[in-house]
Amino acid sequence: MIDAIDKAAGLSPDDELFRARRFRPEFVQGAEECRISVLHPAHDQGLAPILRVALARRMAALNGDAALVEQFDTQLAQLDATGQLLAVAQGETALKEPLATIARHADLVTLTPKKAQASDIALLAQAGLSNPQIVALSELIAFVNFQTRVATGLRLMRSS
Amino acid sequence: MISSVRLKPLNWQPYIAPVELSEATPEQLDAMKVTPSAKKVSEYVRTLAHDPESYLARTILFNAIMYVEGGLARPDRELGALGASIVNGCKFCAVVHARRHAELTKSDQVVTTLYLDKPEKLGPRDAAIYSFARRLSAAPSEATADDIAALRSVGMNDVEIIDLVHAISIFGWANRLMHVLGHAQTGK
Repeated sequence: MIDAIDKAAGLSPDDELFRARRFRPEFVQGAEECRISVLHPAHDQGLAPILRVALARRMAALNGDAALVEQFDTQLAQLDATGQLLAVAQGETALKEPLATIARHADLVTLTPKKAQASDIALLAQAGLSNPQIVALSELIAFVNFQTRVATGLRLMRSS
Repeated sequence: MISSVRLKPLNWQPYIAPVELSEATPEQLDAMKVTPSAKKVSEYVRTLAHDPESYLARTILFNAIMYVEGGLARPDRELGALGASIVNGCKFCAVVHARRHAELTKSDQVVTTLYLDKPEKLGPRDAAIYSFARRLSAAPSEATADDIAALRSVGMNDVEIIDLVHAISIFGWANRLMHVLGHAQTGK
């Protein structure tokens, strides 16, 4: 079965690298279960999958990952994303609250995690996010930054 | 000779209130693997247990990437984790994985070299791993096909390189939790 990371890396079952990746079924299965847990969880903590996918698309773009951007764009179209959520996905900063604060945080932690500090978490709380929402958002941000690096590494291996 | 850098473990403190065991839901207790006799669960685990689904899935993947048998040698995975943690600014993770590297190799030479910021003194294998870890951890990634060529030139096969990519990438994740949701302090 082809998963989200194969798709992002451009791997098909005929590729040697596709098979090399399956030397670690626990990584393949584990990454897929993580993807579901942050993008389409059973309990979304009040952060709907459509918002999660919009944020993921935004962060894939910040990472310059065109293949992942395309994947998330397809999902956004299937979810009928419009208005503010499309603006989130497309990287806009003039957004309503709490989206503006959430998007700002996703940008900061994606591009400059080193600069994150206590006041950034306080801003999320001030924007009305609960502790479970702060943690769920953090896991989503961190996951996309994981996923793009695995895909990037595999793409580099494929091309060299 | 470079004098040894002594790294003491740091303590991690969350910016938000962790889940109290007395108030945890059955799903949270299950994710934290809390047994009826358990008295103490770390603040880190209790903070992330606010979202038990992602906590459980990530913990399983993290343990596979860092501890699975065969493939890339464990010190090399730790070096990838250390390179990522330095770029991402997670002091807590950097100290944990520097110490683990030193324990596994029974030498603190590599860690000392990196803490003194002299990567040019690394041997060719460590240099290739560390450089790739840094460049893949940049946002956006700065890694290129040359980095993969450098890893192959020191004898790494595809399975080992895939293991390394995962070790670096999972710290692109872990660092963005530890350094964002809390901070490191010295002392017990």
